[in-house]
Amino acid sequence: MATSDADDSLYPIAVLIDELRNEDVQLRLNSIKKLGTIALALGVERTRAELIPFLTDTIYDEDEVLLALAEQLGSFTPLVGGPEHVHCLLPPLESLATVEETVVRDKAVESLRIIADQHSQSDLENYFVPLVKRLAGGDWFTSRTSACGLFSVCYKRVSTNVKAELRQNFRNLCADDTPMVRRAAAGKLGEFAKVVESECLKSDLIQLFNLLAQDEQDSVRLLAVEASVSIASLLPSEDTEQLVMPTLRQAAEDKSWRVRYMVADKFTELQSAVGPEITKNDLVPAFQSLLKDCEAEVRAASAHKVKDFCQNLSPDVREQIIMTAMLPCVKDLVADANQHVKSALASVIMGLSPILGKDNTIEHLLPLFLTQLKDECPEVRLNIISNLDCVNEVIGIKQLSQSLLPAIVELAEDTKWRVRLAIIEYMPLLAGQLGVEFFDEKLNSLCMTWLVDHVYAIREAATLNLKKLVEKFGKEWAQQTVIPKVLQMSRDQNYLHRLTCLFCINLLAEPLGQELTTKLMLPTIITMGSDPVANVRFNVAKTLQKLAPQLDQSSIQTQVKPLLEKLKADSDMDVQYYASEALEVLK
Amino acid sequence: MSDMSDLDRQIEQLQRCEVIKESEVKALCAKAREILVEEGNVQAVDAPVTVCGDIHGQFYDLKELFKVGGKVPETNYLFMGDFVDRGFYSVETFLLLLALKVRYPDRITLIRGNHESRQITQVYGFYDECLRKYGSITVWRYCTEIFDYLSLSAIVDGKIFCVHGGLSPSITSLDQIRQIDRKQEVPHDGPMCDLLWSDPEDMQGWGVSPRGAGYLFGSDVVNTFCQENEVDLICRAHQLVMEGYKWHFGEMVLTVWSAPNYCYRCGNVAAILELDENLKRDFTIFEAAPQESRGIPSKKPQPDYFL
Repeated sequence: MATSDADDSLYPIAVLIDELRNEDVQLRLNSIKKLGTIALALGVERTRAELIPFLTDTIYDEDEVLLALAEQLGSFTPLVGGPEHVHCLLPPLESLATVEETVVRDKAVESLRIIADQHSQSDLENYFVPLVKRLAGGDWFTSRTSACGLFSVCYKRVSTNVKAELRQNFRNLCADDTPMVRRAAAGKLGEFAKVVESECLKSDLIQLFNLLAQDEQDSVRLLAVEASVSIASLLPSEDTEQLVMPTLRQAAEDKSWRVRYMVADKFTELQSAVGPEITKNDLVPAFQSLLKDCEAEVRAASAHKVKDFCQNLSPDVREQIIMTAMLPCVKDLVADANQHVKSALASVIMGLSPILGKDNTIEHLLPLFLTQLKDECPEVRLNIISNLDCVNEVIGIKQLSQSLLPAIVELAEDTKWRVRLAIIEYMPLLAGQLGVEFFDEKLNSLCMTWLVDHVYAIREAATLNLKKLVEKFGKEWAQQTVIPKVLQMSRDQNYLHRLTCLFCINLLAEPLGQELTTKLMLPTIITMGSDPVANVRFNVAKTLQKLAPQLDQSSIQTQVKPLLEKLKADSDMDVQYYASEALEVLK
Repeated sequence: MSDMSDLDRQIEQLQRCEVIKESEVKALCAKAREILVEEGNVQAVDAPVTVCGDIHGQFYDLKELFKVGGKVPETNYLFMGDFVDRGFYSVETFLLLLALKVRYPDRITLIRGNHESRQITQVYGFYDECLRKYGSITVWRYCTEIFDYLSLSAIVDGKIFCVHGGLSPSITSLDQIRQIDRKQEVPHDGPMCDLLWSDPEDMQGWGVSPRGAGYLFGSDVVNTFCQENEVDLICRAHQLVMEGYKWHFGEMVLTVWSAPNYCYRCGNVAAILELDENLKRDFTIFEAAPQESRGIPSKKPQPDYFL
């Protein structure tokens, strides 16, 4: 019995092992994904002796299967008997690290990086480092590319001699004939720099950095820029100045815009890596030139960084640098020809206000905000409007209202309805920033005007806006400022506006609650039940159906139901239909 | 009731610019026929109503029209024909309008344009589109059969006469229109053809139309017709006008055009005429739907019926 039990329990494993050899890719894939289960069933010894060699031989499979295999092997250490046997995973991973398909290779390298740590120091030198060297010296660029990612994970724990060899190998890769390999080396330079001794960093890696930063391929040069962030953060500031900055200055003026873009994109990281002194002397002019770059992509990337860069300047020189060096560039960007650049700037420019304080904001920034508020591109205008609160805190609501609101009000009456729509959608936000008194005085009438806009989408958005305002400012406010005007619309000449009145009632009932809805709005709804236009009458029925939960029982019995009964006998088909539907729900 | 919810689902589907099944088209057309057959050649429409001109298969611009003018059934609509041809989505456009007509017969009125015809749709795109989207011409056949049932004109509150093209020398009174047997393919000549093909022209009397069908009609013709029939205004579509609407002969004849950036290239704006319950006129102008609100642009090269 016992033996047959054991056989039974092994049966599924036998199936999985069989399927590893199956002709159907999908079955092999399923089996590979359960490799852990197979290994567990086989036990560590048979896994080492049979499964791993078998897997090493299957390397000529479909990429999908290989990818799954490469991933699995990264977590296989316990299944082969723990760290002392982990090196037996190296042969299959080494083969996988040389295949043609990039995703497989990358996954194999990822797994190799995971298991490197699990090697003892001697295993690292005896098994892992030779693998790295073999890959680095491979004939085909795929293996050399993979090698680049393995230096930083083994370097720290090997002897001085081996370290020297590894550095030599890495140097060779940086000078490889194939751009793909140099690209991989440049991409890993930063992490390698973090693990080498500081004297080697200065003697060896800086050289390599300078070499890669002057590569003929811009795709290599731009990766070197990335590495410079790590390198600069490792060096004392005088060394950075001497060894890295000349190259970086060049990169900021590289003939390829992709390299300059990378510099712009990494600018604030560079700033914190090089420290305040170099920032002041070197980065400020570089940043100015990036903000004036001839390529819009570069200007947009650097415009995004304006606020953070200014924020991170050292406090003793911050204001002076912003005023003399940054603001002139920012002013130019406000009038940039490219809308992405303007929009990038608009998303951060308001953040300068707290840095510069009240007087500078009023004198220098407000005119820029105003210009951007009137920009032809809606995204620019909206970026400004959605960040008004930080300016409000600095200069106060009074100043803000005097300077910016006229522009907002102007947009609220824009001839393009989509612009009006965008402004309406920001009203609840503005209301929150400005407060109720100010809102009533300046914006309330606008919100009411939108309710009778001749575009339906605006009327619809305006009703939704009213609901949000009532939620923000409360029932009391609604009762005094909103409801009277809404109810007045029930007597408008145009049925479309009478419908808007009903739509408002629909939305306002919830924030107003049962008592106010019954007291203030139900009488109007009931009156509208006798409207001469059928569309209004059947929307009365729809409204009553929706509002029923918001009304008290006695009103439903005495007012709502009798009206619906009357509408059910209306001459118009749609009125009948919606009245019957409402009655059905009220039953 | 289940009919209603089926129809509501089809309307939702069409509003996403997705076609409905061939069997659903068949059933929809059968129901539409029952409704349309009851309508007169001069269908009486009550104000308030929003009057619209040519759509020409520009589905996303029709959705823009509803965004600007309001949704059915809340807003009442009168469409003056030319729902199909030229645009990329004639099938979805016509079926949506037809489904709305079946669901809300009193809220939306559809009258026939010169493109609602077997002959014209075979040349200007609707036929090809049906074939492409359904793999057969069955849907085209269902739709063109329904075209024959569409009313020829409408009169709003007895005062505003709406027709796709214009007047006909064979017609002096609305009653003469009422006597036409409209359930047929648009003929090559005669009163029914003229109503769908004619254009107003700064002239007196009648002229030969450069279109090869219908006539050109002058201000005196309009004066006589309006007096005779106690009509205040003739509202029609049929001609592209860059500003969306255009007055002729003072304020006797009005052209309304509702296909913005016609054929995706003309650069015109579109208009709808909103008549309130007192027949007060209000025009709302709109532009083509922005690119991001349109579906995936068609990869096929533009067919040669593009202008």
